[in-house]
Amino acid sequence: MTTARNDNVVVRSLSQIGACGIFLLTILAAIPRSFRHGRETIRQIWFVGAMSLTIVMTCGLFVGMVLGLQLYDVLSIFGGTSATGTVVAIAIYRELGPVVTALLFAGRAGTSVTAEIGLMRATDQLDAMEMMAVDPIAYVIAPRFLAGVIALPLLAVVFCAMGVFGGHLVGVTWLGIDNGTFWSNMTATVDVHKDIIDGVLLKSIAFGIVVSLIAVFQGYTTPPTSEGVAYATTRTVVASSIAILALDFVLTSFLI
Amino acid sequence: MTQRRSYAFGTGLFIVLGFAALAYLATQTTSVANASQGSSYTVETHFANIGQLKNRAPVKIAGVRVGSVQSIELVPGKEEAKVTLSIDDRHKDIPQDSVATIFTSGLLGDQYVGIQFGQSKTPVKEGGEIGLTRPAQQLEEMIGKFFGGGSAPDRLGGTFHVTGNFTNVGALQPGAAVKMAGVPIGSVDSVTIKPGSSEATVTLAIDKRYSQIPDDSAGAVFTSGLIGSQYVAIQPGGSPTFLAEGDQLILTQSALQLEDLIGKFLVNGSPSDNKSGGAQGGTTPDNSGKK
Amino acid sequence: MTDDAIVRVRGLTTVLNGKTIFDKLDLDIPRGKVTAIMGPSGTGKTTLLKHITGQMRGDAGTIEVDGENVPSLSREKLFGLRERIGYLFQNSALLTDFDVFENVAFPLRQHTELPEELIRNIVLNKLEAVGLRGAARLSPTELSGGMARRVALARAIVFDPALILYDEPFVGLDPISLNQVLLLIRTLNHTLGITSVLVAHELAAVQKVADHVYLIANGKVVAQGAPATLAGDGSPWTAQFFGGQIDGPVPFQYPAGDYATALGFPGGKA
Repeated sequence: MTTARNDNVVVRSLSQIGACGIFLLTILAAIPRSFRHGRETIRQIWFVGAMSLTIVMTCGLFVGMVLGLQLYDVLSIFGGTSATGTVVAIAIYRELGPVVTALLFAGRAGTSVTAEIGLMRATDQLDAMEMMAVDPIAYVIAPRFLAGVIALPLLAVVFCAMGVFGGHLVGVTWLGIDNGTFWSNMTATVDVHKDIIDGVLLKSIAFGIVVSLIAVFQGYTTPPTSEGVAYATTRTVVASSIAILALDFVLTSFLI
Repeated sequence: MTQRRSYAFGTGLFIVLGFAALAYLATQTTSVANASQGSSYTVETHFANIGQLKNRAPVKIAGVRVGSVQSIELVPGKEEAKVTLSIDDRHKDIPQDSVATIFTSGLLGDQYVGIQFGQSKTPVKEGGEIGLTRPAQQLEEMIGKFFGGGSAPDRLGGTFHVTGNFTNVGALQPGAAVKMAGVPIGSVDSVTIKPGSSEATVTLAIDKRYSQIPDDSAGAVFTSGLIGSQYVAIQPGGSPTFLAEGDQLILTQSALQLEDLIGKFLVNGSPSDNKSGGAQGGTTPDNSGKK
Repeated sequence: MTDDAIVRVRGLTTVLNGKTIFDKLDLDIPRGKVTAIMGPSGTGKTTLLKHITGQMRGDAGTIEVDGENVPSLSREKLFGLRERIGYLFQNSALLTDFDVFENVAFPLRQHTELPEELIRNIVLNKLEAVGLRGAARLSPTELSGGMARRVALARAIVFDPALILYDEPFVGLDPISLNQVLLLIRTLNHTLGITSVLVAHELAAVQKVADHVYLIANGKVVAQGAPATLAGDGSPWTAQFFGGQIDGPVPFQYPAGDYATALGFPGGKA
C-alpha cells in the first residue's frame, strides 16, 4: 500500500482525527476486557490523578485569588463588589475550573502517558505483550484512558473548591468584602444543576475523554524512535489544548 | 504486593477527596445551601399569569425566604396556572385569606412569590390553597402604561371603515390606535394624500362591535401621554344616525405641532397664521367638509 | 527433509511500501531441531518471525504452525496459538513497570488462576534455569544486556512452549554472555525438545548450535542445509555470505544512476 507524499495538512489532520475516532471505538470495545486488569486502572488513576493534585490545587488557589482581585477591581467601578463571590464561583464552575484543569492535566498527565506508551512501543513492550497473548489495548491503553476520564472530573472539582477558597481569601480576608454577603450572594445565584453538574462535571468528563484519547492515541501511534516520542508528547499538548477550547465553546453554547 | 496496596489506598484517598470537594461545592456554595433544613408542607395557588416564575424560585414573607416553588402546571382546559408552593414547617401560621403575588426582584431580576398576610384566624394547612393571588406584571404592560399607549385592540368581529380628512396628521402612522373615551376601538388603516388635494385622508378601521357611533362625531389626532405615539380619538356627537362602512367624519382636528405650540407660547400667535396647516388652539375643530 | 515440520511456509508473498519483502517464499522448520535463518541485513528475517506469530499478514501464501493456518486464525485462536510459542525480542522487551520476578510471572498471572506459591515455584524454577534466581527482585533498568536477555528467555519458557523464536539473540553481547545464551538455547532444545528458530548473523555461534540453516535474500531462500556443509556448497550467495565478501550477489553499491552524469560530466559510461 503506497501512501501519496503530497497529502496536504488538511487531509493529514482529518485522517488523524478519523484514526483517533476509530481508536476510540477500539478502546471502548476493549474496556469490558480491561476490567480483568482493574488493578492497572486503579494504579493509573493514582499516577494520572493523585499525582496531579499538587499542581491542580496550587493553580486553583491562584486562579481563585487572581479572579477575586480582578473582579473586585472591576466591580467596584459599578459599586457591585458584593457580587464578587457570585462571579468568582460562576466563572470558575462554568469555565475556568474544567478548562484550566483539563489544560493542566494535558500538560502533566497527558504528556507522561504519551511518553510512557511511546517508549513501551519503542522498546517492543507492546509487541511483547501481544506475543504473550495479552491485548495491549486492554492492558495498557484502556486503563490509562479510563483513569483519565475518572480523574479529570475529580481534579476539576478540587480545582473549583480551591478557587472559591482563593477568591474568599482575597475578597473577604484581604479586601474586606463582608463574609456573609460573599457567601449569601453566591449561594443565591449559583445553581447546582446548571453550574456544578452541567458546568464542572459534564464539561470535565467530556474533556477527560478527549484529553485521554489524544494522549493514548499519540503514544500508541508514534514512530518508535526517540524523536518520534518527543514529537508525540508535543502533539499531545497542542492537540489537547485546541480540542479542549473548541469543545468548551461547543458545550457552552449547548448548555447556556 | 505492597506496591499494589499503596496504589489502591492512595487512589481511594484521591477519589474520596474528589467527592468530598464535590459535596462541599454542591452544598455550601450553591442555592442548595438555602434549602429548607427541615420538613415542609405544600400549598396550592392559582395565577392568571406566572410571568418568569420558575421551579425552586423562592417564596417569601416580608422579604424573608420561607419556602420554594415546587411545581408549575397549566390547569387543563383553563387559562390559568397551578403553582404548588413548598413552605417550611416552621411557618405554619399563614392566614387562609393571605394574598400570593408574583413579584420581581429589583428591576429585572428573578421572580418570586411573595405572600402578604390577611386577617383570617385560620392558617393554611398542608395541601390547602391560598385563594387570593395577583399575577405577574408583564414588562410590556408596565412600559405601555408609562407611555400611555394601549394594547392592540381585539379584531374579533371584523371591522368597518370610515375616512376623515386632516390638514396635518403629525406623526400618525397606519396601525396607530383609534380610541373612544380612551378605549381602543380600532386602528388606522392607511394615511394617504389624494393627488391634487392638500389634505391627508386617513382611513380608520373600527371594530364592528362599535356600531353605534353617531355620524357627526369628530376625529382628532392626539398624542399618548407626554412623548408617546399619536392616535385618533373619536369624540361622539349627538346624531341619531350612526357611522357605517364608507362614511366620512365631517369634523376633524389635526395634530398639534410642537413648533406651533412653542411659537404660540412665545409670540402669542401662530407663525403660520393662514388658512391651511397649523392648529388654532386646542379645541376648536377644523371644518373641512369637502367630500 | 521428511521430518515433521512444526512450521510450514508456502508461497509467502509480502509487499510493503512498494518493496517486495517476500517473493513466494517456501520454508520448513523441522520439529525438535534448531533452525537458523540468516541473510543480509534488511531481507526481512524479523518480518518472517512476525508472520509466523501472526503479527503481520502476508499478501499471499500460507503459514502453517502446528497444523493451523496462521493468517486465517481468529483473534482468540491466534492468542491461543501464541501461548504455545515463546518469543525472545532483540531488546528483551521487559516490562519496565515490574521487577524481574514479576516480569517472568506476568504470563502466568495473565492467563492462569494458579495459586501464589505455585507461581512462585514456576518463576524461580525458570530463573534458576537461566541462572538468575538471585536477581529476582532487581528492576529491568538494573540489568546488563545479557542478563536482560536471559530474563526474557525465562519469561519466554514459562509455559514450556513447543516453539521458541529468537530474534537476534546474540547481538551486543560480550563473549561470556554470548556463550551463556548459546548454552541455554542448546540445553532447551536438547533436554526439553523445544523447537528453536534463530534469526542471527553471528556465524560462529550459529555453527555451534544450529542443525539447519536457511539463507534468505531478495525475498527467497537462496541456500539451505547443515551449517557445516553450507559454506562450501558452491552457490555464489553462500560464498559471499559465509566468506564475508563485500561484493557479489548482494551488491556493494546501492542501485544508483550513472556516476559520471551525477558528477556533471558529459557523456555516458565507458
